[in-house]
Formats: sequence, structure tokens, C-alpha cells
Amino acid sequence: MDAQLRKSIAEEAAEYRPMLYRMALIQLKNADAAEDATQETLLAAVEKAVTFEARSSLRTWLFAILRFKILDIMRDQSKSRKFNSPLPTDDRGIDDYETGAFDVLFDTNGCWLDAKDPWTNPQTVAEQEAFFKVLEACMTRLPARTSRAFLMREWLELEPSEICAKLGISHGNLRILLYRARMQLRLCLDLNWERT
Amino acid sequence: MADPLSCKETTWLVSEARERALSSEERQNLAEHIATCTFCQGASRQFEVLFKEIDNYLGNSRSEKAAQK
Repeated sequence: MDAQLRKSIAEEAAEYRPMLYRMALIQLKNADAAEDATQETLLAAVEKAVTFEARSSLRTWLFAILRFKILDIMRDQSKSRKFNSPLPTDDRGIDDYETGAFDVLFDTNGCWLDAKDPWTNPQTVAEQEAFFKVLEACMTRLPARTSRAFLMREWLELEPSEICAKLGISHGNLRILLYRARMQLRLCLDLNWERT
Repeated sequence: MADPLSCKETTWLVSEARERALSSEERQNLAEHIATCTFCQGASRQFEVLFKEIDNYLGNSRSEKAAQK
């Protein structure tokens, strides 16, 4: 019974490997470390297969395991950094902190240029999965730095002050990155998700 | 009486509200603007769906709280 459960979890979980890897890579910025974290997450899932409760989705469960791994790695990194390696260099682009990209959506008075049709609100599991597919595609299109800050906030659930310290940016810059992520996701979903 | 918000400023507050509780003045300005602007009513509904599904997708603590309700 256990062996069968493990096997089915292993097979299903493998489908999430690409997304888990992408999420790990965005945060860890190192292909080997991301690959390790992904592999460990999948192994842990198989090992703990009996504790998986079907009421939560497998993806949510895998994301939760990976989340703890990444927070652990970050904690270790910030400990060792204090003693040996210098702070990472700031790799932001010059336009990273401008909101200008979204100005085209508004007129000179800051008013929306066009009406916003309501989206189909996902109700069933199938509709929600369809929405997640579009959301996932839209998330992978975010610039790396924007995506990293956004997922630190929304997924790892770090406090804004912790994120600023880790990324070496000001609070104002973080607000802009988060704003850009949300604006870009709304726009992308608006172009690719069904309307009512 | 505070200056009325533009739609663009409204989107700022909608994003900010994910990080901190808005002040009562901000909440009032936001509500007043949205009440009179159909474009912002549409955008706010889209943001509501977006934020709810981001929480569900990532399985963060907000989605757990929503599920307990």
C-alpha cells in the first residue's frame, strides 16, 4: 500500500519539477543549488507520502516543502556571509525602479484609458487549474529581479524589511518592484484569461 | 477634504494594501474613487481575483486563512 502511494506521488510530483526548479532558481540564483533544492523537495515528498493530505493540492504541498528548504538555505547564507564573503554586488538595471512601463495604460491625468471587463472567477477545480496555467506562464515572464522580490513577499512571506536587506534595496524600491509585478500580472492575465 | 485620487494612484494603494494596513484616510479616498469610477471598479475586481488566486496557487498563509473561513 505504502509503496504504491509513494510511486504515485513520485510520478505526479515529477510533473512539477520544472516549476519547482524555476522557483528555486529565482531565489537561489545558482543552478546547482536550485537543482539540489528541487531534488530534495521531490525526495522529501516521496518519503513523507503517507503524511500528504489529499485535501491540499500536491502542488501546494510541494511548494511548502520547497519554501522551507529555501528559507533554510537563505538563513545559512546570511550567517556565513557575515564572516567571509562580501555582499553581493547590486545588479539592478537602470530602469528597474521606474513605474514608467505602465504609464501607457493611463492618460496624462492618471485615468485608465480603457474599461476593464470582469474576468471569469474560477469556481471549479478545473477552472482554477486553467487559471493557474495562465498565472504560471505570466509569472515566468516577469523580470528575474521583480519575480524574486514578488515571490519573497507572496510565497516565502518575508517581511518587507527582510526583503530589502536581502536584496540590498530601499523600501521605496521594493514597493515599486512589487507594484510592477502585480500590474504586470494583471495585464498579462487580462490579455490571456477568459472574460465573463 | 483630501485631493481625489487618480486611477493610477488607486492601483498604488491596491498594491500597498498587500504590505500594510491602509490608513482610514487612504481607505476612504480609495472607496470614494472606486465608487465613482467604472474603470477602477473593473480593475479592482480583476485584482481581487488575481490576488485570491495568487494566494491559492502559492498556498501561502493568506490562502489558509481564507480556507478556514
